[in-house]
Amino acid sequence: MNRSIDLKVQSLFMSPAALVAAGIILPPLCYVLITSFQGDTGPLSAYKLIVESSLFRQTLATTLGVASISSVLSLILGYIVALHLARQHPNRRTVLMVLILLPFWTSILVKCFAFTIILGRHGIINNLLSWASGFDVQLPLVLNRVGLFVGMTNFLVPLVVLPVLASLLAIDSTLYRAASVMGAKPARMFWTVTVPLSVPGVVAGLLSVFVMSLGAFVIPALLGGPQDQMLSNLVDFYNRQVLDWPKASAISVILLALASIFIVPMALWRRRKI
Amino acid sequence: MHGRNASNGEAIALRGISKAFGSVTVLKDTELTVNKSEFLTLLGPSGSGKTTLLNLISGAIAPSSGEILLAGRDITRMPPRERGIGMVFQNYALMPHMTVFENVAYPLRARREPSEAIRRKVLDALDRVGLNGFDDRKPRQLSGGQQQRVGIARCIVYSPAIIMMDEPLGALDKNLREQMQTEIKRLHHELGTTIIYVTHDQEEALNMSDRICLMKNGEIAQLGTPDELYFRPNSRFVAEFIGESNLLPGKSIAANSVAIDEAEAVIAPSSERGLGSDVLVMVRPEKMHICAPDADPPAGHNVLRGVVEAISFIGGMTRITVKTAHGVSVTAKIISGPACTRPELGSAAKLSWSPTESVVLNG
Amino acid sequence: MANSVLDPLSRRYRFVGSSLATVVYIFLLAPVVVTIPMAFGPTNALEFPPSTYSLDLFRILFTSDSWLLPLYTSLKVAIFSTCAALFVGLPSAYWIARYEFLGKLLISGVLISPLVIPAIVSGLGIYLYFAYIRIGGTTLSLVLGHVMVTLPYVIVMIIAGVQKLDRNLEFGAELMGANPIRMFFTVVIPELVPSLISAAFFAFLLSFDEVIISWFLTGSDTVTLPVKMYSALEWEVSPVIAAVSALLTALSLLACIVTIGLRKSSGEEVS
Repeated sequence: MNRSIDLKVQSLFMSPAALVAAGIILPPLCYVLITSFQGDTGPLSAYKLIVESSLFRQTLATTLGVASISSVLSLILGYIVALHLARQHPNRRTVLMVLILLPFWTSILVKCFAFTIILGRHGIINNLLSWASGFDVQLPLVLNRVGLFVGMTNFLVPLVVLPVLASLLAIDSTLYRAASVMGAKPARMFWTVTVPLSVPGVVAGLLSVFVMSLGAFVIPALLGGPQDQMLSNLVDFYNRQVLDWPKASAISVILLALASIFIVPMALWRRRKI
Repeated sequence: MHGRNASNGEAIALRGISKAFGSVTVLKDTELTVNKSEFLTLLGPSGSGKTTLLNLISGAIAPSSGEILLAGRDITRMPPRERGIGMVFQNYALMPHMTVFENVAYPLRARREPSEAIRRKVLDALDRVGLNGFDDRKPRQLSGGQQQRVGIARCIVYSPAIIMMDEPLGALDKNLREQMQTEIKRLHHELGTTIIYVTHDQEEALNMSDRICLMKNGEIAQLGTPDELYFRPNSRFVAEFIGESNLLPGKSIAANSVAIDEAEAVIAPSSERGLGSDVLVMVRPEKMHICAPDADPPAGHNVLRGVVEAISFIGGMTRITVKTAHGVSVTAKIISGPACTRPELGSAAKLSWSPTESVVLNG
Repeated sequence: MANSVLDPLSRRYRFVGSSLATVVYIFLLAPVVVTIPMAFGPTNALEFPPSTYSLDLFRILFTSDSWLLPLYTSLKVAIFSTCAALFVGLPSAYWIARYEFLGKLLISGVLISPLVIPAIVSGLGIYLYFAYIRIGGTTLSLVLGHVMVTLPYVIVMIIAGVQKLDRNLEFGAELMGANPIRMFFTVVIPELVPSLISAAFFAFLLSFDEVIISWFLTGSDTVTLPVKMYSALEWEVSPVIAAVSALLTALSLLACIVTIGLRKSSGEEVS
């Protein structure tokens, strides 16, 4: 409605939020930005040293690789689940949603702890394999790339399921009836109706999952090995071990810039949908 | 009823009101005066601007230009709560978390009236709409019709100068709608409140209104009593929107005669249109008489000859369409009789009507 | 779809789809479920399934200060930050959902931004900022940090709630003479109760489970439960963690059920 807004009432409703925005949310970003330019030898020295270090380059590559692969893995698994949920009767779907929402609401620490138990050298998987094969199997499944991918995917799947499910449920079910009356087999229906019409959910899910995984911190720290540390862990390393805040800030700025490349289209995509 | 709209003062006046959203004009420069105690209906297809007009009066949106006077007072920039206008919504808009009593008491509590006065007024309002003893129920425990009665009670309880009703019966089924029309008319008669009523249902508008304001594309197409709109439409749009109509294209050939299809001249009320101009002669189907080709129509009637093209039996009335030799289809609506009394499909027939029953419109 | 005649082909596809989905459900739930039996296991070994069952781990959790104090800190921080996030989020979310105003995109963008900004960036920034204004390591700093994290979720959830409300209710109330404040308290808030409850639960849980921001903000006497757990997982995996995990899982389950129950009772599709 474009009736003239009562400014007094508006300030009453918006001022607490404005205060939080200006007093809590924006300053940290400013501090990171300012600190990143306070290197020992000139404003850009921290960036220069970071970009030249092989540790950073290697971590950047790891971050991009892990984020891409785990996003795609979680998309595949998430799509399977969303498809299954979309085909259930609404009442049954509500019950099954608990299976998605419970992991979604569960602390990431609980999951990491559980995976160290499940994937450890004497963990559930290795015990099962030993019991089945008769040998003492001790596959290295955690504190390496495998553990990292398992943890990341597990964390990301619910984030994919929700948007994909929403777009699957938005498909008019008469389309399926029409397609099958016209003689389409299930596989053709899937590729010609379901997949194209779920694209909005897939794009939204993929973008948000990718942005989430770029900033992963806890999972690489607890389930990955020393070679699997990501940019967030490098920030923590410079902040806590090296006590070099300009470098920690410079990496943060780079990470934020990297994420923004995907945040901006994500925001636009959301607006478009609305 | 119709005598009551005589000039006992203006309730609301719109002076040069218009509304544009960006580059889209949804209401063009409009002048409209509603008299005190009048029942005025805003009628029109969707997108005609009737809801915009309503929203402007209620204050839901601000006009792009012009002013709104409520009993002579400028309320153009006044917030809705100070206007003292009541509104009944299509979807009822009752507070689901409040009982019927609390819903009806809401406007009085907002005005900080003493609680015993509130109680008295609320029970009185509920009594008036026939909801005695429903005060403890929640809206969702009521039927659609009952919910809308609460919506009406909530309006009349604080005696607003004007009550606006935005398709209040739109969500109800046909029988209930007719019953509620009667009740709203009764309430209007009892209370003498000014009512501005929005609907897209022409029968509802004809049945209830003192005057109808028929809108089209953000403009008033015609403003007048139901009789005027039905019997004296001023344009093809009005003639087609209200009731059924035959529109016979022709040329004006004399002060009171029109050539239809350049063949048959008919007598029509004199129009001020120039000789030779294209006109439409409008005749309501129920004013058309049909008779056998050899029978004589009443004296002085205009006559058209043709072949029966279609017959549809729709209950109390039967619609017979006759196609003239020049290809114009004309429909007559007659009181139904058994099949043997109707002309046969494909048989010749004669149509006739009294010149006074026709209206000449711009072609 | 459910009642249609199934041809054998689609039956086969459906079977494959269900089987695959079941495998994914198991994968998703396994880490949630595994910790529960272990919480009732012995105190000296981490094994699955546990060889003996007891409540010893919970006894240690609820008697040793090194776990009890973080639990208390987390509870305190979660309660305060949830209240603060609701207090800030409710009016602003309503206004953002209902009105167009100058700077709306800017302020809503800033308020929502912690949702997408990597937590480590916010964490480092807030650490530098709070160190500068000298409130680092205090409970207040934790509460403020958690408000930053929970507020976007609260706002998004309340905006979704407001958008489902019938605008005519609010307009009708105003037309009947209620001023905006009265209207807000008598119409909007009562109507928003389900959204407010789910937002509160979610904010509480988010704060109670929050690791990264807290990792930067905790002082020696304001360690939160997740930070304590994170360091424990990094250095020595203690069996007590199983009990903590079970506790957190129970909390998540509760929040999850309440949310679904609320959505179901307000008659909408869960998605």
